[in-house]
Amino acid sequence: MNQPLAGYAPAPVTARMENHGDHMLKVAMQTGNDLFARVGSMVAYEGFVQYEPNPPAVRQIARDWMTGEGAPLMKCTGDGLLYLADYGANVVVINLNGDGISVNATNLLAFDAHLTWGVERVKGLAKFAGQGLWNTKISGQGWVALTSRGKPIVVDCGGGEDETYVDPDALVAWSPNLKVKGKRSFKAQSLIGRGSGEAYQMAFSGQGIVVVQPSEDSTDRLRVRG
Amino acid sequence: MPREFQRGHKAKISDLTVGTDLYVGVQITAPGLTFDISCFGLDADERLSDDRYFVFFNQPKSPEESIQLLGPQAGDTESFRITLDRIPPQIHKLSFTATLDGAGQMSQIRPGYLRIVAGGEEVARYAFSGAEFTTERAVMLGDFYLKDVWRFAAVGQGFDGGLDALLKNFGGEVAEEEAPAAPAQPQAGGAAPAFAPPAFGAPSAPAPAPHQPQPAAQGFAAPPGATPPPAPAPAPSVHGAPTIIAPLAPPGGGHVPPPAPAPAPYGQPPQQPYGQGPAPTVPMPPGYGQQPQAPQAPPGYGQPAPPPGYGQQPPFGQVPGQQGYGVPQGAPQGGAGVAAALQQFKETPTGQRWTQQNKKLIRVDLGMGGQPVLARQGSMVLYQGKVDFSYKGAGFAGRIVGGATGQEMQLMRCTGQGQVFLAENATHVHPIELQGDAICVSAENVLAFDESLQYEVRRIEGHGIPGGALFTMQFQGTGTIVVKTHGTPVVLPVTPTTFADCNAVVAWSAAAQVVVSSQVRMRRNAYPGDTGESVNLQFRGAPGNFIVVQPYEV
Repeated sequence: MNQPLAGYAPAPVTARMENHGDHMLKVAMQTGNDLFARVGSMVAYEGFVQYEPNPPAVRQIARDWMTGEGAPLMKCTGDGLLYLADYGANVVVINLNGDGISVNATNLLAFDAHLTWGVERVKGLAKFAGQGLWNTKISGQGWVALTSRGKPIVVDCGGGEDETYVDPDALVAWSPNLKVKGKRSFKAQSLIGRGSGEAYQMAFSGQGIVVVQPSEDSTDRLRVRG
Repeated sequence: MPREFQRGHKAKISDLTVGTDLYVGVQITAPGLTFDISCFGLDADERLSDDRYFVFFNQPKSPEESIQLLGPQAGDTESFRITLDRIPPQIHKLSFTATLDGAGQMSQIRPGYLRIVAGGEEVARYAFSGAEFTTERAVMLGDFYLKDVWRFAAVGQGFDGGLDALLKNFGGEVAEEEAPAAPAQPQAGGAAPAFAPPAFGAPSAPAPAPHQPQPAAQGFAAPPGATPPPAPAPAPSVHGAPTIIAPLAPPGGGHVPPPAPAPAPYGQPPQQPYGQGPAPTVPMPPGYGQQPQAPQAPPGYGQPAPPPGYGQQPPFGQVPGQQGYGVPQGAPQGGAGVAAALQQFKETPTGQRWTQQNKKLIRVDLGMGGQPVLARQGSMVLYQGKVDFSYKGAGFAGRIVGGATGQEMQLMRCTGQGQVFLAENATHVHPIELQGDAICVSAENVLAFDESLQYEVRRIEGHGIPGGALFTMQFQGTGTIVVKTHGTPVVLPVTPTTFADCNAVVAWSAAAQVVVSSQVRMRRNAYPGDTGESVNLQFRGAPGNFIVVQPYEV
């Protein structure tokens, strides 16, 4: 009975974070090397792992993250193997190694607790609805896992003056040194009720990358479920 | 899915492709003008110290055949085959140039390009246009140069003087004006060149490949009889083949290569040895012979096995969407940092109008082809460049659809210059190139299409169809339509007994006839609200028609 499923056994651990398939993240937990993960993202674990939702450290940093709610992060400590997933979204594992990345809050799955991180409000986008505004900027030496609805694409902004425009709903992450601004693209005729459907975009310029998912579904499933 | 180069860009060849057997195509045209496209093999001092490495119409290959002129093919005004690992050590640079033959100036040229094709895929493209030039009469388009490893640079530098000035620039000698037959080429004999470069010409002469008189070959620059055929017979490009709309999704693959304009003969793993040193080029790798003989294959199937675009990124050469990309990242030394971790998701190189980025994302380059694209509203996820999005009414027919189904097809028109990435709800996208033929697509499954296509709404009525009728859009003409499906679709041939659920059918070839067949079931109480009546569409048509069904009932 086990034979057809045997192929899905976990592979030996070779790194702190790894993909198990496209849609699941496997984290090798160790004492002293804690992890912040989205609340509700744990699907399985082996060993002794403890979870502390809304820990003080997070509350401090993310106090203005979605006002009125607790920070959607939990601190995971212990030894073992932790499996995380977000409703079948693709998981992208990044070893930062000194780089930094700015991640849409919805698309953040987990990151090492010792990384430098902070919540920032994306400037100039106050008028945008909902979730894309609050971004987590993470940098340092360690691992980050992102989620993406569908296989993401990474676009090089190429530097210079050219701007790359992204649908905010499809945006996953970007290099923190990029310049960001909002852009409204509708014209007079679209003001009278017939927009092109692409009312505003975010414009990026500078040296760096933008990660975009092939879906405009930016629902925060982990949060919707509560 | 080539990487797009701009003037001044440089890259290692090894970053573009693992192969060393490259095809270099140049397209440069101008109304009423002809061009001589040549390749200079230069030494470390950027001099043409050996005239035998001036490869041009009168000397179509270098002595050891590492540089061969192949003639016009597959849309290219001129093409070369470059075997990097056979280029002798004294040659440090290959400069590709185009010179005007006769009067005129470079500002008159139409948009053209220099492209590199390896393994059947275009890996790099440097596009240029007349606007970049003024009165020049020659232009150095691009260089392969040796700096530790072979690299490619998009040069795009104009020259006032024409071919002779170019030759002088490279230290060559001009034998006579406008007839720059290389001096070391005694037997270069006018129009019917019998080029047998002294050293190796003779042994390589045999091997008229069995497929050599391919009808689709657009003709070599030189009369074939007089020359040893250049090893890769120019295959009919996939574009040349008649479109059969079929390649929607090779079952299981789900990944449709956009028909690459790459000359098919290179659809070989580039590592195929061409014989080292003086070995005669006779033994053709099998693929060279077979590929051109199947022009009737739908473009998608003619492609070699690896899905395009992924093959070029060696560390991630797996089929997209398949098992774990976690593996290469496991070892931290394999590449750390954001850029390294995200390398596998990099934008695929550009070069065609429609490029599939991955299964769920497609990119259209509006600058190419110059016509607007109509896309479903809200399907843009990202764009670069100056692109305008405007409302496009679905027209009268569209309003009928909207009125009847309550779901109007909302389109937006993308115009301008730039690249637009389209995706919707992580559905699979499939570009289908129409060349004068027609296809019916269920209106919900249309993601985008070229404005050059004509479309009309067809209505299939039948009892039990939700909304009273099924609306399909019939597309006709020349251009590309992008169809989206939930999940990997199945493409079925139309047989006398082909049925499909009207909710799951995505598209069918327009020649197939649709009949609504209802089956009344006795198990009326299957679940509340079910009428017990299931409506199927039956398709009838001549062999060759097909239908596409998705594993998802809208």
